[in-house]
Amino acid sequence: MRPTGIIFFPAFDWAISPTHPEREERLLYTRDQIFEEGLLDLPGIKEFSPRLATFLDVARVHFCVPHVRDQVRDAHLIAAGACLVLADCIMSGEVRNAFALVRPPGHHAMRVVHGNRGFCNINNEAITIEYLRRRYGVGRIAVVDSDVHHGDGTQDIFYHDPDVLCISFHQDGRTLYPGTGFTNELGGPGAYLRTINIPLPPGTTDAGLHYVLDNLVLPILRDFEPELIINSAGQDNHYTDPLANMCVTARGYADLTAKLRPHLAVLEGGYAIESALPYVNMAILLALAGYDYSHVREPGYRPGMLRESPEVAAQIRRVVEELRELWENRHRVDPEAIFGKDRFYERQKFVYYDTDDIREFQLERVRRCPDCPGYLTVASSARHPGGRHYHICGISIPVRACEECYGEGYATFEAARRTGDYTHVYLQDKATDVFRAYDTETRELLDWEG
Amino acid sequence: MEIGIDVGGTFTDAVLLEDGYVRAVAKVPTGEDPLEPMLAALDTVLAGVPPERVGRVVLSTTLITNLIAHRKYDPVALVLIPGPGLPFDHYRINPATYIVSGAMDYRGREIEPLNEDEVRAAARDIAARGYRQVAVVGKFSPRNAAHELRAAAILKETVPELHVELGHLVTSQLNFPRRILTAFLTCATRQRYATFARAVAEGLRRRGLTARAFVLKADGGTLPLEAAARYPVETVFSGPAASTLGVQALLPPGETAVVLDAGGTTTDLALILSGTPLVASRGLKVEDQFTQVRGLAVKSVPVGGDSVLERIGRELVVYSDRVDRPYCLGGSRPTPTDALRVLGHTEIGDPGRAYEAMALLATDSQSPEEVAGEVLLMVTEIIAGEIEAMFREWQEEPAYRVWEVLQRRTRKRPNLLVGVGGAAGLAPLVAQHLGARALVPPYAAVANAIGAAVARTTLMISLHVDTARGRYVVAEEGYQGELEDPRHFGEHSAVQLATAWLRKRAAALGAGDEVDGVEILRQDVFNIVREWRTVGRLFDLVVQTPRGILTHVKGVNS
Repeated sequence: MRPTGIIFFPAFDWAISPTHPEREERLLYTRDQIFEEGLLDLPGIKEFSPRLATFLDVARVHFCVPHVRDQVRDAHLIAAGACLVLADCIMSGEVRNAFALVRPPGHHAMRVVHGNRGFCNINNEAITIEYLRRRYGVGRIAVVDSDVHHGDGTQDIFYHDPDVLCISFHQDGRTLYPGTGFTNELGGPGAYLRTINIPLPPGTTDAGLHYVLDNLVLPILRDFEPELIINSAGQDNHYTDPLANMCVTARGYADLTAKLRPHLAVLEGGYAIESALPYVNMAILLALAGYDYSHVREPGYRPGMLRESPEVAAQIRRVVEELRELWENRHRVDPEAIFGKDRFYERQKFVYYDTDDIREFQLERVRRCPDCPGYLTVASSARHPGGRHYHICGISIPVRACEECYGEGYATFEAARRTGDYTHVYLQDKATDVFRAYDTETRELLDWEG
Repeated sequence: MEIGIDVGGTFTDAVLLEDGYVRAVAKVPTGEDPLEPMLAALDTVLAGVPPERVGRVVLSTTLITNLIAHRKYDPVALVLIPGPGLPFDHYRINPATYIVSGAMDYRGREIEPLNEDEVRAAARDIAARGYRQVAVVGKFSPRNAAHELRAAAILKETVPELHVELGHLVTSQLNFPRRILTAFLTCATRQRYATFARAVAEGLRRRGLTARAFVLKADGGTLPLEAAARYPVETVFSGPAASTLGVQALLPPGETAVVLDAGGTTTDLALILSGTPLVASRGLKVEDQFTQVRGLAVKSVPVGGDSVLERIGRELVVYSDRVDRPYCLGGSRPTPTDALRVLGHTEIGDPGRAYEAMALLATDSQSPEEVAGEVLLMVTEIIAGEIEAMFREWQEEPAYRVWEVLQRRTRKRPNLLVGVGGAAGLAPLVAQHLGARALVPPYAAVANAIGAAVARTTLMISLHVDTARGRYVVAEEGYQGELEDPRHFGEHSAVQLATAWLRKRAAALGAGDEVDGVEILRQDVFNIVREWRTVGRLFDLVVQTPRGILTHVKGVNS
């Protein structure tokens, strides 16, 4: 049997700030546990070393304002690079699946990056997905986000992408950051029902989580038939997490991993660094590698101590039923009834960057193309902490763009450069792997090609 | 004067150094008994030397490696305290494994008390089954050894004649399965080692030697011969360490090189980086099992000068497990040494017989020179491939910090290959294959013994401080203490505390005067933050006596 690959990158010399939850100490006890258990010596587990992702890898996903180098530190490139190393190992068949046990996390990072939000700068999963498509031509990919917070960054990036299914279950956005991820967020007109959000009430236990998994997530995955499954393996649904209110155990997480059978699991949040992470990480790793995890137990845990209230269970059943019905009727949906008939679909967004206190206003336009997912334009304004205002425009051409969208995308980029309305204009051409960043003031044009 | 002796699988080598000059060398065949060839080599280099002028004798021996390989060790019972985690089956490495309840966590807090009744029951059963050696190992015992200590006390109380070894004293690093195995092997070999050490000491005494005697460890450091009875397993694989140190001594200080030690049955590869041998990032693998023994990063390739060659169909095959003397030295089978002889890369053996050996392997129209070329190309490719793999492993060593990942990217491959050992003649061929320079220094055949002679004592202390709990642990000494003033305990105090313990440890092992400085191997500090407030700090320090050698060999001009 081929082994499970792991990259453990705790970034012991990187923190957002000394007392921030995302600090050096976060994976210290996890290291102690994994080392003491000797997990990296097991024949079914093979450790790999990270590399640095390139600016090109980042530009394939994000419009970093003003430039990639301004938003990204070496730690981010290593965390993303670790995922890419593991993606290579999965595609070469050297490993059967893999765990990127890395920080800093990424699932709150959206397409446009003005700063850090929800502890994230760049989206490790999205960077991996674009890399997999570019390098290996992978078609359909599913992301299942099991972090307690809505995976809003990943959702944003793939909202109009019919080839990437984003499923996120999380504590209800009315009670927790980032305040989104409701059942009506289902994807844009070209990718309707490629985004599924399952808000769960506070107090959800292993039983509730597995009800969702068995009755909704797994059936949807079976229907979607992805070539690869990526798990955003946040661990803050744990009953001891200080930032959330859920009641999931290490065992619950391991069972989830065993059922989901992701090709790649990527650590996201989880801030009960002593009471949860050492045990949850160990259980997930054992589950991926097919070892018995039934003896992994948090100190102080007693069977039966976490009971789900009937109200919580009923609420979970209602959400599952609602989404299940939507999914089962997905072929009968009339997009025009939902999205109208305009040539472009537009949505306005306000994005708050909690870590850096930045307010961003966005207008996103995607061409409703009958032949491809359509090129997308995003105009975004924000004042950065240094005081400078940025008004940027980014044009994104999808991987399988049609000739018309491809041409219009480039034309839009050239037009946006000339208007003088924007401080920076970006082009993201995923079809031929060309990326450009234009600074209106200096008239400097950066150009990367894959 | 210093004497270095390396007892290898085929030969035992010895050298006598005086002020950095090689004054005498010896090479005798190694037989069944590990003591006899060692004393014979010693007598050769001692000839005509007043014994009282020798200040130091360092011995590198395969004794423990062989005991483990042939399972000629004492039966051992294991008493393990794993607690939650992997299923217990992972730990039953031995017919007599007793698992008792109790658990500690990573900060040394008790999760579950030790079940003393289970320990007593195990003690009675162990005694009834006739075991005398017991290793007690608990998960996270380097963080808190209370359960191991209590279990040992109960075992001794119940069965006073038991000899009990404790996991946390054997190794301070976190890795429970490796700690179990290392404690097990320590327990299994310590008595035999002690017997051997006494015999060596007696042999030295009878020759009128008053020199201090040391034994070489896998990491290229030495321990006082008799004190090493506490850590016999540390002496495994000292042979490759000896050769590597020998090359270090034969090169100018600060040199970077690949060491190729071509022996009879194996070729050992190692790296010297800026004058210091590379240490393996994890503990050594002994008989295919992971231990926590620290050693140099040595790669052993199962091909040597005496490996048997055979032609099967059109394929040329080299056997790693079948060995004969080279044909040119009177053996019955062709070997790589014969090929080296035919092409003039070595001077040993009878050239006529070497040609005959190659003729035995020839296909149709091949000349002996062509066969020799084919043989050496094959062997060279095998070794060059392993050197490439060794470089990759070095460049991809685990890195858990941003700076480590960045630093690793700057690692440049050495372009000097130094050949030592019996088949050092392979070095220029391998170097050519890799596009590197080759060097076969003077005394290449006894580089291993030189390495033993110049090795210094290495000792290490791991200090783990938890100021939030007001405690500290010195794992190697099994000491758990309270901090006097946890609020004002900083990095400086941590270094001072570790240094004091290192000196204490050196004194206890009878090597106090060998410590003339301290090297910090690891220094981690983590803030313990709870609810946005720093409530304490964790310090992880590993300090050691400086690595290095007593002297570089003079008069070699390499």
